[in-house]
Amino acid sequence: MSFLGFGRSQPTSAEKIAAVENEYKVFAEMHSRMVKVCTAKCVDRSYREGDLSKGEAVCLDRCSAKFFEAHQTISEQLQKEGAARGFGGGM
Amino acid sequence: MDAGLTQSEQRELEGRLQKRQVKEFMNVFGNLVDNCFNSCVDDFTSRALSGRESGCISRCVTKSMTTQNRLGERFAELNASVTAEMQKR
Repeated sequence: MSFLGFGRSQPTSAEKIAAVENEYKVFAEMHSRMVKVCTAKCVDRSYREGDLSKGEAVCLDRCSAKFFEAHQTISEQLQKEGAARGFGGGM
Repeated sequence: MDAGLTQSEQRELEGRLQKRQVKEFMNVFGNLVDNCFNSCVDDFTSRALSGRESGCISRCVTKSMTTQNRLGERFAELNASVTAEMQKR
């Protein structure tokens, strides 16, 4: 929750740094979740080979794209439903 | 992300991001151990890893690093295109 309103002209040093750090954290977490989920869905767990097969590679590409889209869709829907139920705040 | 930081703010930020990167690496490492152990090791008739299990673990690590890199590239691309989309609106 941010209280940066129109009254204040500049975010403080700490707020600026925290904002960038937080953005990094959000991306890092999303990346980590994507790797976990797409590995589970696409990579054969018998590990008979050390190389990704062509099928696995293509699956990973598609999985990451779908993951992003699902993330966005869910985010938008939550915001809509949250607004409808009277919760404030963004994601 | 451009917040117009001063030099000292930039340094502080870099320090914090470095710490986060180390934490992130430990996270990746932990997940790797869990995943490769769960996938490869299931024979507890001896205390030492069998040849089969060691080979499996080695291949698992190689494959996981390749996967990590590939998904890292896809993530950056997808992120860039989402950002571009948002800036168009």
